[in-house]
Parts: sequence; structure tokens; C-alpha cells
Amino acid sequence: MATQRKGVLVDSVYSVIALLCILVACAELCGASAVVDVYRLIQYDLAGVPFGSRLASLNHHAGSSLFAPGADLSRTVVMLPVRELNVTFIREYIGQRKPLGGLLFLLPRMFSSEYKDSDGGDDDKPGKELLRNILVELERLLIHANIRYPVYFAFEDDKIDAVLADVKRNDATGQPATATTGGYKLVVTAPEPRKLAPPTITNIQGWLPGLKADGDSNQLPTIAIVASYDTFGAAPALSVGSDSNGSGVVALLEIARLFSLLYKNPKTRGRYNLLFGLTSGGPYNYNGTHKWLRSFDQRLRESIDYAICLNSIGSVDNELWLHVSKPPENAYIKQIFEGFHNVAEEVDLKVGLKHKKINISNPRVAWEHEQFSRLRVTAATLSELPLAPEFIKLVAESLARHIYGQQGKNINIFADDSSLGVNPSYVQSWLDLLSRTPRVAPFLSKNDPLIMAMKKELEDHTVEVNVQHEVLDGMFTFYDLTSAKLYIYQVASVTFDLLLLLVLGSYLIILFSFLVITTRGLDDLISLFRRPPSRKVKTA
Amino acid sequence: MTMFHFFNCAILTFGPHAVYYSATPLSEYDTLGTSVKAALVYLGTALVKLVCLATFLNVSESDSFDPYQELLKALIGFIDVAGLYFALTQLTHRNISQNHKFQAVGLGWAFADSVLHRLAPLWVGARGLEFTWDYILQGLEANANLVLSISLAALGSLMWLRKNKPRTLIPIIYACAGIVSTMPSITSYLRRGLGWHFAEVVGFELFVSLVMAFFSWQLFSTCQKPSA
Repeated sequence: MATQRKGVLVDSVYSVIALLCILVACAELCGASAVVDVYRLIQYDLAGVPFGSRLASLNHHAGSSLFAPGADLSRTVVMLPVRELNVTFIREYIGQRKPLGGLLFLLPRMFSSEYKDSDGGDDDKPGKELLRNILVELERLLIHANIRYPVYFAFEDDKIDAVLADVKRNDATGQPATATTGGYKLVVTAPEPRKLAPPTITNIQGWLPGLKADGDSNQLPTIAIVASYDTFGAAPALSVGSDSNGSGVVALLEIARLFSLLYKNPKTRGRYNLLFGLTSGGPYNYNGTHKWLRSFDQRLRESIDYAICLNSIGSVDNELWLHVSKPPENAYIKQIFEGFHNVAEEVDLKVGLKHKKINISNPRVAWEHEQFSRLRVTAATLSELPLAPEFIKLVAESLARHIYGQQGKNINIFADDSSLGVNPSYVQSWLDLLSRTPRVAPFLSKNDPLIMAMKKELEDHTVEVNVQHEVLDGMFTFYDLTSAKLYIYQVASVTFDLLLLLVLGSYLIILFSFLVITTRGLDDLISLFRRPPSRKVKTA
Repeated sequence: MTMFHFFNCAILTFGPHAVYYSATPLSEYDTLGTSVKAALVYLGTALVKLVCLATFLNVSESDSFDPYQELLKALIGFIDVAGLYFALTQLTHRNISQNHKFQAVGLGWAFADSVLHRLAPLWVGARGLEFTWDYILQGLEANANLVLSISLAALGSLMWLRKNKPRTLIPIIYACAGIVSTMPSITSYLRRGLGWHFAEVVGFELFVSLVMAFFSWQLFSTCQKPSA
């Protein structure tokens, strides 16, 4: 009976020990006071020259910009809220390559997608304008520098704000956080960033074929409408937004939808083929557009009457610019410009014409139409295109008048409330999607959901939709790890632990003495310390 | 640094047990075997308790204080007393005096409790980078628990092993034993029913343990006198 019981006991002990072993094995270092999503500064090589943030893993104490001048920050992650960013500090540190443990930029809440969803209300405009300038300056500095430490971006939230307030208080008292004074530790565990495979760029094209007259053997002329959809930014995972060139893409999709309605019916089908192209590689001299045009055969290229590139770089005022590379006196250019100008007058908008000659020897391509012009295709870029339905209407209307030969006549084809009107909710939903999805070409896979969505949308409205994958030309090499998780730990200092050890040691000694005195008497305690010498005396 | 902190917390949690063993006559009489046996009994008791808790208790989604569930829990908590009874009376010990026996049993009991309940959280938590006061408080709680266990063992040995004790003291002994053995339920009520913080609960536990230790010491010495 007893032995049996003992057996059970032993079994239970074994099971408990096994449980303990499992616990020890599973023990992970978790329990951070905050975990935040962070986005890494882009890292790339341009012709073998390194640019951007060269490291990903981070494990240093947090500091703020309030440190004592001349302090050694090589083991400190400096947390900088962009709202109160001191650009001269950044310029000094990045320009002079001073060592830092890392940089963490805190972007204001209003830029985060959650904030946009909850409250799209208009904030104070001048503050936004100032922020925008700071961000542009910051981005320019960061992208063109070779930074030897990790640089991350994060959105401000309550947790980070609390941490920052603590860190600032620490720094203000003149005790920057190091291993001996405690504070916060910022940890990002990440492997060494790896080179990405040569980035592919994906172009999507769709056709709306025009109506051929019977017995007409000539090929129909083609009008191309092109928008480049990808973008570039300091933090690839944060490169969202409707600028550069989200609104162009939305305008293109809406125009495709409108004309597909017209082209469905043979009676209203125009005598022009319409070619829609969503091109990639925009920030890299419109490399995607270049590849796309090269892939056309000669006959097709010659059949393009003209091409309209939709672009939208930081539209602020209500003025559109038509950028061309042929002199404005050119008959085609004149015709296109007149077309836009007339319609614009009707909807109270201004269209200006800007002419910039192409320098063939300069590899830098400023505007998308220049890629067309280099192949002797008449083309123009409409830029500063803000996203209002009127602008889409403007482009669609002037195109339609050209196609149906109604120039100069006051006919409203895409009237606002008709079935052919611009659909604001369609435009808005696409804008929302694009302003939420990061789209830096090297980090988009071939089957990225965004590309698939755009392809499907074009398929709905046009025929012969074709997706073309090309390798990005140029000397760019990109590195992975665009986003990570940042763990913020509140840490105690070594001095605290030393003090604790002292206190504990004295507590145990006092406890020992107390127990000895109460159970054996004071003499025993004293004799404990006397015994060794007396023993020595005996042995001697 | 984090290993250092773990080391500190481990000293606070397990140090007093070792000090108690080496400072008192327990070490002179070599009562380690008794302590180990008590610890094993504790493990068995914990297992039985676990089974009972799993069988009779609902898993509450909220962290609120449910009186009925807590009553059940307190009843199940008395399994501890049964385990202690077994350890004190049924186990064959080496021939040591009752005076040392209850101390050895209480020590083994408390040590097993500390290892089972506090070592794993300590290993997982205190090595992390994040600093909290929790593990230091937990160490203090282990100290209070040691004192309570020894008090309970002392009261138990008075109740079950000593035959000739003053009649007037018997109700007091039982009352004290009742208070000590319901301490887990009381602390649980304080924490969840009244929403006390961990630090306050630990402070209360330390205070109660010292008071109960004083009482049981007095009771034990008064019972000792007639026989002595």
C-alpha cells in the first residue's frame, strides 16, 4: 500500500519535473511594456554606392533630443518626434556622420491610417504645410545619405508618447539613459538585411478597340492614356498616399470605365483605338514606360496619334499644367492644348502649357511623356492633377471631343447626372485603396494584390488586358526588411540591482543572526565565528 | 544585468529557506530527509488539489470575485491541511523531536510551494529586459509563506501530536489554524474582491504572517511548559 502510494508520488514528481522542463524550454523573453510597428528607412545601393540605413537590428537605450551637448550618443537610440524636429540637428548628425545608436522618427498621428479612418476632419492648414516641408527636407536628407545605424519610423500613440515623456524627463535632469541609470531600452530583433532579387516592374495595359469602317484596311489611330502607379519614399512600407501618382491611376481607371460605356455600343464607338497603360518604375526615370514602349512593334507605335500621361505631383492650387517636349507651335501639340483649354474654360479651370526640351544625352527623365517623345510619339503630361471629379471630367471630355470630332463645340458628353457622369464614389474608393497601400516597385511582388486589383479593374472595362513583367534597369539594388516590430522595455539599472543585492544580503544575514540567537542563543552565534581559528590552533 | 536581477529575486525567494535550515538546530540534527518527504507530500497534495479544482470549478472569463466559487476554492484549499496532517503524523520520520519535526515539515512544505509556484514565473519573467516590481514582491510573498507554513505546521503538531495540552487553549489553537489555512482565500478576496494592489496584498500577508507566527510561538511554548 505504502509502496504503491510512493510510486504514485514519484510519478507525480516526474510529471511536475517534466512540466518544469517544458516551461524552461518555452521561456521566451517577452513581456515588453510596449510593442510598436516600425518602418525602416529604405536601404539601397546605387551603382554599388551604399545609401540609406545600413542596419536593421537595434538594441540600445532610448534618448531624446534634450541630451547634454557633446554627449556620446553612439549607444543611444534618439527618439525624434517629427512635429518638433530640429532639422539642423539632423543635418549636423547625418552630414557629419556622427555615430548614433539609432534613430527613431515619430510621425504625427494624423498620418496614420487608423487616424485617417476615424477622423478625416481638416486640421490647421499652416501646421500641416510646415510639417510637409519638414518631411520633404527630412526625406531628401535621409535618402541621399549613407547611414551606418538603423533608422526607423513609427507613428505616435499613447504608449510611445508616455515613453517619450519619461525619456525627456530623464534627459532634462542631465542623466541620459545608459546601462547604469536605467530607463527604456528599444529592441528590434532582425537579421542582417539581404539584397532583393533584381526588382521586377509590372506594366498593365488594356485596349478599347475603335470601330473600323467596312472595307477600311488602314489601321485605326490610337490614343494612349498612361499613368505611372508606383512611388518612392524614405520608408517603403509607408509609401502610401494619393500623390505620386495615385490620383493619375484613379483618373485613368475612371476614364477607362467611362469610355468602356461608350464603346460598348457600336453606334457610339469612336474611330480611335484607346490604349490604357498603368506603368511602373516611375521614380526610376520612367523605366517601366520605356520598357513598355519598346515592347510595341513599329506599326503599333506609329499608329499612336498622341499619348496623354496623367501625373500628379503635390497639387496645391487649381491649375493644371500640360507639359510637352515639342515646341508649342507644333500642330499636334496645339490641337491637344486647344482641346483641353476649351473644355477647361467651360468648367472654370486653368490649363497652362509648359515646354521643356529633351536633352538626349541626359539619362534623367523628368516627365513620363519624354519616354514617348524619345520614340517620336507625340505625348504630353498633365500634371498637378488634384483629385476632383471635375478634372477627370475635363480629361475625358476633351478626349471624347477629339475622338468624335466635336472640337470647339459645346456638347457635354459626360454630363454630371447622366449615366455617363463621373462617379465620385468609384473614384473615392480607388483613392482610398491607393492611399492605404504601399507601392514601391521593388517591394511589390509580381502577384501583389494591388497589381491584381488594377488588372481586374482594367479587365472589367477594356479588352486584351496584358500584364508585362520587366526587370528594372539601372544600378539600383534594394534590401529587404522594410517593417519590423519594436519592443520597448522599461529596464532597471545595474546600480539598482547592486543595491538590491546589498539589501538582500544584509536581510539574510540579519535573519540568520536572529534565528541563531532565538533558537540556540547568542553564544552559539559568536562561537560560529570563533570556531575556525580555534580549530587551526588544534591542528597546529 | 537581467541575469543579475533574476539572481537577486531567486535569493529573495529561496534564500530564507536555506538560512532557516542552516541557522536553526535543524541542520545539526540532519532533518533534511523529513523536509524532502514533506516536499514530496506537498507535490502530491498540489496534484490532488489541481484535479479537484479542475473538476469542481468553472473557468471564469472575468477576473471578478464570485463568492460561491471562492468558497469552493477555500474548501479545496483545506486539502493542504490534510496533506500537512499526513506529512506530520503518517510518515515515518527518523527519530527526531516534535519540536524539530514540525519545523522541518513546514520548511519542506514552504520550499516546495516556492519552487512549484514561483520558480517558473521567475525564470520566464525576471530574465526579460522589462523591469517590474512583481518579482521582488513575489519573493517577499515567498517569505511570508514560509512563516505561515511553519506556523501552520506548529499549530498542526499541537493539534494532532500533543496529547496533554491545556483545555482552554484548544479553541484558540483551532481558530489560529483556521485563519492560517484560509490565508490563500483571504488574499484572493483582497486582491479580486476589494481590488487591492499586489504590493498592498504582500504587505498584508507579511504583517499577518508575523502576527500568526507570534501567536503560534506563544501557544507552542505555553503547551510545552506542562510537559517540560
